[in-house]
Amino acid sequence: MPIDQYKDYADYCVREARKAGAQYAEARIHGGAGSGFLLKNGEPQPSIVEDSFGIAARVIVDGAMGFSATNLLSMQGVKDLTATTVKLARASSRLVKEPISMGESRSASKKVSVEEKEPIEGGDPNWLKSLLNDIDKRIVAVERRAKGVKIPNRMMVASVGVEEKYIVTSDGAKVESRVPRFHFFGIFTALKGGRAAQRMVQQGETGGLEIVKRIRLLELVEEETRILAEVLDQAVKPPTGIMDVVLSPELSGIAAHESVGHPQEADRILGREGAQAGESYLSRNSLGMKVGSSEAFVSDDPTLAYSNGYSPVDDEGVTSTKRRLIVGGKITEFLQNRATASLLGVKNNGSSRSVGFDREPIIRMSNTFVEPGDYSTEELVKQVKDGIYLKSFTEWNIDDKRLNQRYTGLEAYRIRGGETKELVRAPILEITTPALWGSVKGRSKRLEFEAASCGKGDPMQGIPVWTGGPDTLLGGVRMLA
Amino acid sequence: MPRRASGRMAPAESNDFAVSVAKKLGADEAVTMTVVSNERMARFANSSVTVTKTINESGMMVYLAKGGRRIIGSSSNPEKTSLAKFVGLLCKSMMSIPKDESYVPLPPKGRRFSSKPRYDRRLERAEDLLTGYAGDAIDAAEGAGAKRAAGSLEAGVVSHYIAASNGTAGEEASSKILLNIRAFTDRDASGHGLSCSADVKGFHPDIAGARAGAHSKSMRNAGELREPGSTFSILMSPTVASNLLGLVGDFASAFSIEAGTSYLVGKMGKKVASSQLDLTDMSSGDGCLQPRSFDDEGQPTGSTKLIERGVLKSYLHNLSTAKRFKTRTTGNAGLIEPGPWNIEVGEGDSSYDEMVKEMKLGLVLTSNWYTRFKNYRTGEFSTVPRDGTYLVKSGRVEEPIKGIRISDSLERMFSSIRLLSKDREWIQWWEVDTPTLCPWVLVDGVTVTKAYGDTPAPAG
Repeated sequence: MPIDQYKDYADYCVREARKAGAQYAEARIHGGAGSGFLLKNGEPQPSIVEDSFGIAARVIVDGAMGFSATNLLSMQGVKDLTATTVKLARASSRLVKEPISMGESRSASKKVSVEEKEPIEGGDPNWLKSLLNDIDKRIVAVERRAKGVKIPNRMMVASVGVEEKYIVTSDGAKVESRVPRFHFFGIFTALKGGRAAQRMVQQGETGGLEIVKRIRLLELVEEETRILAEVLDQAVKPPTGIMDVVLSPELSGIAAHESVGHPQEADRILGREGAQAGESYLSRNSLGMKVGSSEAFVSDDPTLAYSNGYSPVDDEGVTSTKRRLIVGGKITEFLQNRATASLLGVKNNGSSRSVGFDREPIIRMSNTFVEPGDYSTEELVKQVKDGIYLKSFTEWNIDDKRLNQRYTGLEAYRIRGGETKELVRAPILEITTPALWGSVKGRSKRLEFEAASCGKGDPMQGIPVWTGGPDTLLGGVRMLA
Repeated sequence: MPRRASGRMAPAESNDFAVSVAKKLGADEAVTMTVVSNERMARFANSSVTVTKTINESGMMVYLAKGGRRIIGSSSNPEKTSLAKFVGLLCKSMMSIPKDESYVPLPPKGRRFSSKPRYDRRLERAEDLLTGYAGDAIDAAEGAGAKRAAGSLEAGVVSHYIAASNGTAGEEASSKILLNIRAFTDRDASGHGLSCSADVKGFHPDIAGARAGAHSKSMRNAGELREPGSTFSILMSPTVASNLLGLVGDFASAFSIEAGTSYLVGKMGKKVASSQLDLTDMSSGDGCLQPRSFDDEGQPTGSTKLIERGVLKSYLHNLSTAKRFKTRTTGNAGLIEPGPWNIEVGEGDSSYDEMVKEMKLGLVLTSNWYTRFKNYRTGEFSTVPRDGTYLVKSGRVEEPIKGIRISDSLERMFSSIRLLSKDREWIQWWEVDTPTLCPWVLVDGVTVTKAYGDTPAPAG
């Protein structure tokens, strides 16, 4: 991407916006290039090559915010963009009852890059196709070994790409970044005797092509499809009622993301996402509020190496830091951007991200996880006399205040006498947020992550994140079937 | 201000240029589609405008084929030198991959599409309209009892330009304006309103705002369901019904059928819904929010009856899926995945009041979100109602209800449709991707659950 060619457009945009009366101005050259390949039931589909970039401008004028974006990069285009952004913000200020201020966050001047042992550019369509073919062969071999279970539907997409940005703000931020990524998504359907089971697998990291080996992608997908066949063939009706439940890293991660990360986004708390992604059960006064047991610890860390949500500097040019969201069951921190931190009078932890030049930066999670504890997985399971180990999930959802959530298990085992036993079919944990985090009794040492795309904003922005955690023991929760 | 050699071309010129470069580089076939959009948006929360947006974009999709190999590229850089380089890269990448068995050639003779612009020109640059409309919607919500309102207003024009190596050429444009407003009286009491139109004439921000405000007032002191886990008759507003029925277009895509991600696999010609249900994919017509006269392969679009009197009549196809299914394209490409343009759910003959009277124990749902599938092959899902939700007993709306979840399968629900309303509305918003013209829909025997555990008092 010719980012160097257009840096002075961004500098010009900020300078001119300030001259035109903006109290704050920010410009971002943002783009990405990459390739993708889709293999459906062993048959290749057309390869996909993408190249997209443009400029975004955001200003505060008289307490009103204006945002504009275009990929039509010319002298006149950027000039018009700047003037339009300021004009629209100024015109809307008469309908602004809560003036917006970007406050005084500490602006970063930094270059961000990610190490690639095997350059991501090597992931051309042919490389991606070979990778997916190798995975498909393994699944077909799993099918041959499975007793009467067929896996006829195997849809996989692998993609590589590089995201590049240049961000400049009127208070001195100047950030350049280059983040390469690998992403895999697969959906597999197993059939037997008129019944069907389905598993979605998603993996993604930042780095070069070495990611595929580092995450053992081929082995991982092979194992997931083997288990899928077993679930369909062997799982029995699950027990229902009040019992102890162990959540795997995958379940701990989705619960942390949905019922801790989202309700602790300050923009939701302050109502900005009210008509789309919703608000929060928390208020601006909820810091220090007890929502979990003394064993509940949840964090969001944008600085984790290799992570899918890696973003050490945010898209408002502010250094991002690890956020301790819940410590010992108490709410300790919200995810902040410049405006919310200014309004709430707290330190900005740099949580503002955008997926492309045509989207405004908004508060986003990065890598949200339950903090690991001191137990081994076996030690946690041993504490359960009669319960369920939820290892993977299918369907999930949560209300828009982030209180009433549901996770339906796919790979799930009955626990009896402190040992995992038979597979059980589709047990359901449907529980309120305080009941879930209030029931945490222990956490294992291991910490694992899953890749996900988190949706928020209008227009919608699906942004790469990790969700993760250790095994988490919940004491006495209700299970449905 | 720095100077750049722009080298920028008009969309039709860009398309022709890309096709000619591809031919010079030896491609057997080339299709280029340029999409130019001008979008304006005003968002508000707590009855205060939070941001105004203007987004002007031009993106090009390039499809190339040679000797059975195929590749698709998308680029946002319309500058001449960059475009030539991009097409060159695509040609090179294409030759590095093996032949694709699902390749189907374009028809030898192309078509010329000439449609007169019928979009609302007032929506080309609607920035001056939007803040006024936002104010109207907020005032109407507060006038109906809301303490505050949040929402988004978007308006714009999208133009599609196509050219292909077989001589196909065409262009068309469409406009739309959408309002999504949510009103609150307290944290647990909210209401929702939408107004979706292809032109200013059909756009009613005051009605949507008033509807949201009235529900937010009615939802004060909402109680919890005393019979969770039971089955109920559910009366779904067009907003809720379109969230579920609008998905049929995606499930009917031949791609979803082949990928095994559809509950409609193996159901062609079979009963998949109540005889009350007719459902059509329509590419044009009065009020269509996403009209198209040609698809991404340059084939003419049309109207495809997907479900007629409850029977599955057709899948949606592009050229390559049609060949594998031994049928003709329905003009719904997507080069990889055929998909719906607009969904029309057939009207019934009931009024809202008549439908409520038909319910013994039921719930009226006016909005929902977060629909997720346990299994796309079986169509099992759950979704979370929000905003105006009311318990109905013996044909009367009794009380507002909060904190519930619907858990069912699409085929079972659609097979239990009892009544549809005469009145229909166009719906497209955060939770409904495909524009859907939809009535109120009454469904029997739907499982409703609520979460385990106490709910804390609303935060102050």
